[in-house]
Amino acid sequence: MDAVVSTPSLRVALIGVPNCGKTALFNRLTGSRQKVANYPGVTVERREGERTALDGRVLRILDLPGTYSLSPTTLDEAITRDVLLGRVADAPAPELVVCVVDAVHMPIGLRLALEVKRLGLPMVLALNRMDVAKKRGVHIDVSRLSTELGVPVMPTIAVKRGGADALIEAIQPARWEHHRRTTAPVWQDATPEDAEQTQADLRGLLAAVGYTTPRESPWMARFDAVLLHPVYGLLVLIAVMFIMFQAVFSWAEAPMDWIDGGMAALGEFTAASLPEGPVASLLVNGVIAGAGAVLVFLPQILILFLFILALEDSGYLPRAAYLLDRMMGGVGLSGRAFIPLLSSFACAIPGIMAARTIPSWRDRLTTIMIAPLMTCSARLPVYALLIGALIPAKSVGPFNLQGLVMFALYVAGILSALIVAFVMKHFAGARQYSPLMLELPDYQWPHAGNLLLGLWERVKIFLSRVGGIILALMIVLWFLSSYPVPPDGATGPPIQYSFAGRLGAMLEYIFAPIGFNWQISIALVPGLAAREVAVSALGTVYAMSAAGDDVAGQLEPVIAATWSLATACSLLAWYVFAPQCLSTLAVVKRETNSWRYPIIMAAYLFALAYVASFITYRVVGALA
Amino acid sequence: MTPTDLPTRSPHPLAELRRGEVAVVAGLAEHAGFDDGRGSGVVLLARLRDLGFVHGARCEVIAKMWPVGDPMVVRVGGSTFALRRTEAAAVKVTRLEEKPAAHAQLAAKGTSAALA
Repeated sequence: MDAVVSTPSLRVALIGVPNCGKTALFNRLTGSRQKVANYPGVTVERREGERTALDGRVLRILDLPGTYSLSPTTLDEAITRDVLLGRVADAPAPELVVCVVDAVHMPIGLRLALEVKRLGLPMVLALNRMDVAKKRGVHIDVSRLSTELGVPVMPTIAVKRGGADALIEAIQPARWEHHRRTTAPVWQDATPEDAEQTQADLRGLLAAVGYTTPRESPWMARFDAVLLHPVYGLLVLIAVMFIMFQAVFSWAEAPMDWIDGGMAALGEFTAASLPEGPVASLLVNGVIAGAGAVLVFLPQILILFLFILALEDSGYLPRAAYLLDRMMGGVGLSGRAFIPLLSSFACAIPGIMAARTIPSWRDRLTTIMIAPLMTCSARLPVYALLIGALIPAKSVGPFNLQGLVMFALYVAGILSALIVAFVMKHFAGARQYSPLMLELPDYQWPHAGNLLLGLWERVKIFLSRVGGIILALMIVLWFLSSYPVPPDGATGPPIQYSFAGRLGAMLEYIFAPIGFNWQISIALVPGLAAREVAVSALGTVYAMSAAGDDVAGQLEPVIAATWSLATACSLLAWYVFAPQCLSTLAVVKRETNSWRYPIIMAAYLFALAYVASFITYRVVGALA
Repeated sequence: MTPTDLPTRSPHPLAELRRGEVAVVAGLAEHAGFDDGRGSGVVLLARLRDLGFVHGARCEVIAKMWPVGDPMVVRVGGSTFALRRTEAAAVKVTRLEEKPAAHAQLAAKGTSAALA
């Protein structure tokens, strides 16, 4: 706190309504790798970046969650207001506020700017999307706006290189440090009279600067006529979801084969070039078999994320939320829950965090509790492995049978989520009304650079997981399944005499009723840290149980040969609910600020998983 | 949507507008049409106002969800919002013009003279 500061940096906060291009501008200013999306409220995390200003000083830029008003209705919006007021620990009030206003949709943005201005913080207005505004017949007298408002107004085009140069020029620390406030700003929620006054000021301003309602874009209107249609819109939504899950299976095939082949070759090469012993065993059976088993699913995970990022960027997601609001309302959810839940298909963690944009606590809690039922990408390796091993890759009409089974598993997750939500609705007390009031942003082509940045981020996260937690667990598992070494004259595979083998044998008592053998029982334990590790663990366990020099990439045929269909289906059913993901539970603890909900979540998921697996095992066993 | 409202052009709830109809906001209702005992109604009205549903604003219904238009999509002040029926019911509007389909229906009811 009291560090010696020679050339102090300037704390700048970006504020604006959702979809105004604030996050894109933040990227332009800081070059930080962060995703930009169209959904109102995608910026739920605190995002900060640095930039060296033209005068050589440092700007510390904070990207605040989008808000329509300083009188908040969601947690996100409350955070924005509290940061501006200096009420948030670790986030001192900004010394300069950059209020980002979308020139196309100027009224809502400018109204917020008027509220922010009333706080008395030094302020610059960035008038964004000036290019689109011109195309749609909106011509704004920028210098007049600046005079009327009494703050500098800088036109910006956040998505263009050099589009923020005027703003960068305007926010040099040296120009602003003498404006520093010594007292904290104060905000009182607007009374109806204040609100009337703000609206009157806004009308005057808009008239003075020559703002006119943007020309309707004919192709957007045509898109909306179809995509918002009660029947065609829903059909398109179903088709989009279906194509997404089919693509995950069919597009990924070739790259997965390359990775698989590469890892197998690497394993053989390593086994051949090292003398037989613990080191070779660790590398081949532990590291390569374990990491390789997960790495092979990278293409599928990336395709899934590509779809989600592109849908986010295009402005389609809030429209999907509109289409589903009524149906989701039937089970006590808001259409707003659609976006957190869709993100949960990638990973429940960002999904649970995105639930902050849901105004009512009850709705938010329901969304959080069912988020883990959306099949996350970490479950993909497990599904893909079992489906690949046991379901024939034949065509059913235009579809691939494996893709259809995968789709059915996703649907099973969604249906259970709806049932759980429905049950929660009936256990919960009086509900607080949770508004929809969702802005439908302009459609736009997904920005290729954005998508690539987003995907690259996923690759980094995935590889660091494979290289970090997964690798570490694999090494531990290798150790546990290698030692103690079997006694002389032992007949079974060595792993049966090891710690892991004994642990598996104990767990088998719990899991035998649902058809899991001891190999699966062991694999579920490291799967607690990350679900996909279960696949690596199976890779390692089977590699260790194999008599000879069976190496990585051979898991599928082993499963096809040794598991019954009932066991495989039971494990698939288990993973529809898959209670074991410690990071998800930790996030639920953080987001709900209590141990109660993560404990309830773990308990109900475990119970559902066990019951579902039990039924599946018995039914498939009886049929087969 | 009673035809007797039309000649006097007294304000309707926005929720009653059909797809394609254009209207001018007359004001917000005194109270939101529900009460959950937690002041959500007041917050709702304040937010509608902040989004631009203020006296004199032109709005157009872009889409209505089957079967009863809950939710619906409304364009106001150059922005587009999805509103539930309850939310749209809190906005009072005066019809500005009718697109052909709606107009034909009104004419059939013998009220076209009042619109001239």
